Amino acid sequence: MQLQFSRAEVAKAPEGALIHDDATAKWFLVSSVAYFFIVGIIAVTIAAKFVWPDLMGTMSWLTYGRLRPLHVNGMLFGWLLAADMGLAYYVIPRLCGVKLWSEKLGLATAALWNVIILGAVVTLLAGQNQGWEYAELPWYLDVLVVIAWIMFGVNVLMTVASRKHQAMYVTIWYTMGCILWTAFVYLTGNFATLFTTGTNQANLNWMYVHNAVGLIFTPIGLAIAYYFIPRASNTPLHSHKLSMVGFWSLAFVYVWTGAHHMLHGPISQWLQTIAIAFSLMLLIPVWAVVYNLFATMKGQWHQLRESVPLKFLMSGVVFYLLTCFQGPMHSLRTVNAIVSKTDWIPGHAHMAVLGCFSFFAIAGTYVAVPKIWGKALHSQSLANWSYWMLMIGGLGFFTTLWLGGFWQGWQWNNVSIPFIDTVIALKPIWIVRFVSGIMMFAGIVFFAYNIMATALGDHEEAAV
Amino acid sequence: MAPTDYTYPSVYFAYLFFFLSFALAVYFCFRSRKDGYWGEKGEDAKYHLFEEDDDTHRRTP
Repeated sequence: MQLQFSRAEVAKAPEGALIHDDATAKWFLVSSVAYFFIVGIIAVTIAAKFVWPDLMGTMSWLTYGRLRPLHVNGMLFGWLLAADMGLAYYVIPRLCGVKLWSEKLGLATAALWNVIILGAVVTLLAGQNQGWEYAELPWYLDVLVVIAWIMFGVNVLMTVASRKHQAMYVTIWYTMGCILWTAFVYLTGNFATLFTTGTNQANLNWMYVHNAVGLIFTPIGLAIAYYFIPRASNTPLHSHKLSMVGFWSLAFVYVWTGAHHMLHGPISQWLQTIAIAFSLMLLIPVWAVVYNLFATMKGQWHQLRESVPLKFLMSGVVFYLLTCFQGPMHSLRTVNAIVSKTDWIPGHAHMAVLGCFSFFAIAGTYVAVPKIWGKALHSQSLANWSYWMLMIGGLGFFTTLWLGGFWQGWQWNNVSIPFIDTVIALKPIWIVRFVSGIMMFAGIVFFAYNIMATALGDHEEAAV
Repeated sequence: MAPTDYTYPSVYFAYLFFFLSFALAVYFCFRSRKDGYWGEKGEDAKYHLFEEDDDTHRRTP
């Protein structure tokens, strides 16, 4: 066994220990947390616009049509994927028992990623938008994303290739799967759609949108959960074989589900039915993951009282179960006829991206940052507050939008109700959405401040 | 002259990626069996993440 330490902990490392530089992880984590805060401001602004539609409406670059894609892309690529990449740069070398293949390549990737995110801010606010969900960025930024992803992929895969252990832990499987699937999903969603028209274009776009969640954020999110739940609870995973069942069933099932976004639309009925059938089959990988992580915590639940990372992680697992139960259920034609295109959908999407995968990333950041900087976390109390604000605000946000979505859907299905009346009726829902958004933003502020104060502040060394 | 329609080449481009992903998944799934992930030593990998520190007292699940 070879002990492993970060560069900041080198003073207490015994001779022969493996020292990780973690410079790439540092840059990715710090910049992602900064974007989480900045894009959080945009999120609250958008929520306010639902209540006061004229708010800042005279400035073109602050209109809803420009802020909304910036919020979506900023949260997905500026915060979540960047944080996940930062955590992958932290986790993969440790699991492989070797140093990262190239810190220089990693730092170049971090710099390029920041160029992309800043470019996205400028272009989206300027109104340069390709008009496709999750694929709004102009093509030249898409090319940079592909280059950055190749740099990330080469670094991780070369690190894995030089690993000490032949057998790979499930986190490595999911990370490598994410690298390969993202290449396929991103290229199809951002480039193949440029050359298609009509229904085929819409079908490709929704295949991309759903697989962006299912084959990019799900595998890298689960990779993080599978690492940090055993680490934070100091308990081995319940079953590695069961984790393999989850991985392979995800690999074979997920890619077919995208067309459920176009149910009752102008695509073939057989394609809709395939999407529904495969959406229901998603319950297999989901239950394999959830059962495994819950069984890992058997007899260890008391640890949640003291551990903020575990609170985030296990709440994320519950949200993963809920969101992945919702998904197959509203893929059914009868349910879809009510909830499709309503506020139910952002309620569902926020539970997946914020409640599940962002909770995993926040937990990983809370564990990794003190280790990387060799310091104690700035404030455990503030970390606890960040959890409860995000949890309560998130629950208010999700449930309000689900209820509002059902209400909206029922009204839309009644042709005697004028559309504008269905908009006016939802105002109370959007007030609760705004208040919940304020609470979630407070959670983000507490988290971001805590992480920045830990990284930049002058604190005592963390206990080993 | 009608503009060139790239719809079918683009859809086949997407199908090609589908096929590549599927073929790779089938290959590596069978390869994982050969590499012992489903055998009696299939649980060994889950202890790797505790090897980086020696003061960890692993709890049995």
